[in-house]
Amino acid sequence: MRDVAIIGVGMIPFGRRDEDTLVDMLAYASMHALDDAGLGDKGVDAVYVANMGGGILQHQTAVASALVDRLSLLPAAADTVENGPASGASAVKNGVLAVASGYYDTVLVAGGEKMREVTGWKATDFVATLTHPEVEYPYGVTLPGMAGIFTRLYMEKYGLTREMLVAVAIKNQAMGALNPYAHVEMLITQEGILDSPHSVVNNPAMADPLHLYDACPVSDGAAALILCPLEMAQELTKNVPILVAGFGQATDTHTLQEREDPTDLKAVTLAAQQAFKRANLKPSDIDVAELHDAFTILEIAESEHVGFFKKGEGGKAVLAGKTKLGGQIPINVSGGLKARGHPVGGTGVAQLVDLTWQLRHELPKERQVKNAKTGLSVNFGGFGNNVLCFILKRGGK
Amino acid sequence: MNEIKITAYKCKKCGHIHYPKHERCLKCKGREFEELKPEGNVKLLAYTQQFNLPWGFDERFLIIGIAQFENGIKALGQIKAESLEGIKTGMVLKPSWEPVRYVYGEPVYGLKFEPL
Repeated sequence: MRDVAIIGVGMIPFGRRDEDTLVDMLAYASMHALDDAGLGDKGVDAVYVANMGGGILQHQTAVASALVDRLSLLPAAADTVENGPASGASAVKNGVLAVASGYYDTVLVAGGEKMREVTGWKATDFVATLTHPEVEYPYGVTLPGMAGIFTRLYMEKYGLTREMLVAVAIKNQAMGALNPYAHVEMLITQEGILDSPHSVVNNPAMADPLHLYDACPVSDGAAALILCPLEMAQELTKNVPILVAGFGQATDTHTLQEREDPTDLKAVTLAAQQAFKRANLKPSDIDVAELHDAFTILEIAESEHVGFFKKGEGGKAVLAGKTKLGGQIPINVSGGLKARGHPVGGTGVAQLVDLTWQLRHELPKERQVKNAKTGLSVNFGGFGNNVLCFILKRGGK
Repeated sequence: MNEIKITAYKCKKCGHIHYPKHERCLKCKGREFEELKPEGNVKLLAYTQQFNLPWGFDERFLIIGIAQFENGIKALGQIKAESLEGIKTGMVLKPSWEPVRYVYGEPVYGLKFEPL
């Protein structure tokens, strides 16, 4: 197996992009990544495209075939990867395996989603199609609903408070306000969304005990990256190569009801353990993390399940400032899904693009983790039933 | 009362109860199952009041819960209540089989739970 490096990355600002088609967005992000790697007028051997909903939302399938043509990368191999909200990291995994095996040398991975052209009802319904079609979906349960069920159990078991959840939202929206790629660039305060009488209006219940500001926005957006063997990185690009030091992927029961302890995100734990083992690192070695905070509770729960904090300690760590820039382990310095946005097929790729910028030390100082050498991402599919964890390392082995 | 039309599957080897169906037991990989029908009332294990509903629902909110029947089957359903007042983890509810949504005017039946 060959070591694999990320040698180019690209992203477009997330948000509402009425003027762009799904393939437009994927193409723009891909061109940024190709140019960043220095491959602007060259081809790649293969293209993997992460997309969850083109077939439902745009009535467009075979998105990878469309993108490879749009980018004039023919006759490169092209595959679309659909794995729910974990499609992005799944596509990167496929690219990494293809390069590591020696089958392909240069691979473009792009991920994106166009979700804002349908109503909120339709977008909520689209994401809910990942629930069990017989025993969950007919009842109208949504992903926010599952997160609400999970949050109440977490509160009952660990004493998690709304103040802890609100602290995640405030932290991530503050970072999003500094990120030109973020969908949400609005500062919020605890008074405005929790303490004052107006908070009932400002921050209505969404899926009790979760409220509006506990959730990520519904976004359009795309991100892309270029992979090659680490040994070829120097001849292909001037960028500092970022080693894919390890990844892990694990699954859990499709339905929440069949989990012995629904507060135990087993797939997160297992995916992280695999990634740490492969990278020969431990949680305390990680300098910066991008966790899948589709809901504030998930940042807290994932920070515990990957091993940054003990179970039940993640919320207290947020309140103590341990997860902010300059803290023990800065989490979602990009603003996370909460502020950058969550175009579902694009998120897993965007997390790795943000980590690459961190590890190349290219961000402005108000968002740069000083001297960051290692980064970890969690891309959370379903409600924790298909999870990928990546560990990146600056400058090779 | 309408019959509750769900079928669970009890592994003949280890006794683990599955709902929905699996081809192999989640615990022991056994392939033989005894069909199990829900019995008695349910105990509420987890719940939420959901306000942002998907396409196809006209209600202002849904209260969704996961509950366990007296013979061990766990299932998700809608809770018949006007608010979360009085709803608590561990409470006993009465199950029924009723329309849970309508698709093009046709009812889709499923589990509902009602506080006793």
